[in-house]
Amino acid sequence: MTLTQLITIAVLALLVFWAVGAYNRLVRLKNTIANAFGQIDVQLKRRYDLIPNLVEATKKYLSHERETLEAVIAARNQAKSANDAVRSRPANADAVGALTMAEQGLGSALGRLFALAEAYPELKADQSIRELSEQLTSTENKVAFSRQAFNDAVLDFNNAQGQFPAVLIARLFAFVPSAMLQATESPAERQAVRIQL
Amino acid sequence: MAMRFFEQQTQARAQTARLLVLFSITLVALLMAVNAALALMWFLLPFSGGYPAYFFTVNTAMTVLFVLGGWWLESAALSGGAAVLASRAGAREVRPSVHAAEQLLCNIVSELAIASSLPAPTPMVLARVYSINAFACGWTTHDAVVAVTQGALDHLSRDELQGLVAHEFSHIREGDTRLNMRLAGMVFGLEMIFNLGTTLCEKNEAGAYSILAIPGLAIKASGALGWLAGRALSAAVSRQREFLADARAVQFTRSKDGLGGVLRKVASQQGDPMHEPRAFHPCVKHMLLIGPDGGAHWFDSHPPLAERIRRIYGRPMPAMRLDDGAPTRPTGVF
Repeated sequence: MTLTQLITIAVLALLVFWAVGAYNRLVRLKNTIANAFGQIDVQLKRRYDLIPNLVEATKKYLSHERETLEAVIAARNQAKSANDAVRSRPANADAVGALTMAEQGLGSALGRLFALAEAYPELKADQSIRELSEQLTSTENKVAFSRQAFNDAVLDFNNAQGQFPAVLIARLFAFVPSAMLQATESPAERQAVRIQL
Repeated sequence: MAMRFFEQQTQARAQTARLLVLFSITLVALLMAVNAALALMWFLLPFSGGYPAYFFTVNTAMTVLFVLGGWWLESAALSGGAAVLASRAGAREVRPSVHAAEQLLCNIVSELAIASSLPAPTPMVLARVYSINAFACGWTTHDAVVAVTQGALDHLSRDELQGLVAHEFSHIREGDTRLNMRLAGMVFGLEMIFNLGTTLCEKNEAGAYSILAIPGLAIKASGALGWLAGRALSAAVSRQREFLADARAVQFTRSKDGLGGVLRKVASQQGDPMHEPRAFHPCVKHMLLIGPDGGAHWFDSHPPLAERIRRIYGRPMPAMRLDDGAPTRPTGVF
């Protein structure tokens, strides 16, 4: 075998190694996106589960504020069913829009509840309510962070497949850029709910 | 957002790569210095003819053996699970059912695990440390610990504690915990050469120097230079990683007031004898949020606080009193 042949083989082998590596990296980044999307759903569900518990715990102190409590529960149910609709039709823009609206409604209903709670010192001192609202704060953060992680993962994926040599592999195997969650960009979403008891 | 965190991260990473290259150059330079010094000594000796066979090979091999041996020794001392290392540094497991603040820490750790797409590390508490500080340790992302001090749990608001933990998450995610333990090993390896030289230069029982003192002096001199260069470089790497971790913390929490508040509170704590940063176990020293104040700037593993605060906010900010910004958590729960 001549030197030229050896060099050709070495260069080809390097190319194949690089292509396999680039392909695997793209697949890994794509799976990260799917995982990040799953997280958002998990955390939203946990939030819907926590809210009735919190309302139940505050009922004892807020017996005169029945309307506010009912509004929270109604908003929560609406958001939950909007979320179920999105899960069955993930790409549907109307369903996502309805969920965004319902989430905003839930956010403002919760905001009214917390504003009300300011006037009830015994409520604020209740141990189980404090624990519940810490759990809810944490879940709110997780919702926000999982959206953020989703968008960061999309950015990584889009960058990886848009840059020069890797773009060849991406074209060859028909990788398409993913869309970010626009909802996170709207100001109403960003200042979701401030839980302060 | 005052801080352009993605750009700052790229910058910090590039700096680190440059420093690691410098580190390998130091090693090569040390090898050459030892060889040159020994060759010079041999040349000056009265009975010297030519160099003996394998003179340079043996010198190089011995030097490499010592450096790698020292590296291996230090790495072995730092091996073991993350939780073992952390408890050696005085941390204990959290008790979320007993202390509400520790439940809060657990919640924050699981929140940031989502934000950083990492498996959740084990939260731990340094219950006897009353200054604000924290560290992360562990060789992999799957076996890592984030430990915060009691002082941090007592004095920080929820958002600030989140910023503090996010900073430590960056160290885990970027592999800084591993990198720092490796660097500590390399520096110890370089120190071994210096120690070898020192041993050779010592007087024997009769109070006389042995003939080995002449090459010993040469080894000691080149070892000292290598060791100092190694320490300065590993500290420089560490300082860049701190800036990177600050930028990451802002990215994870999307809030500059969290970590910024922590650093400003620490700035007000410094100088208060009650809150002097106490000596930490060497295995976690590099991983602390706030490093111990060193003498010479070149050997500091952490950048100056004021500079870190300036980079986070984009402008200098005054120190903050410990009870400031805490109304969201009046009794340690919120």
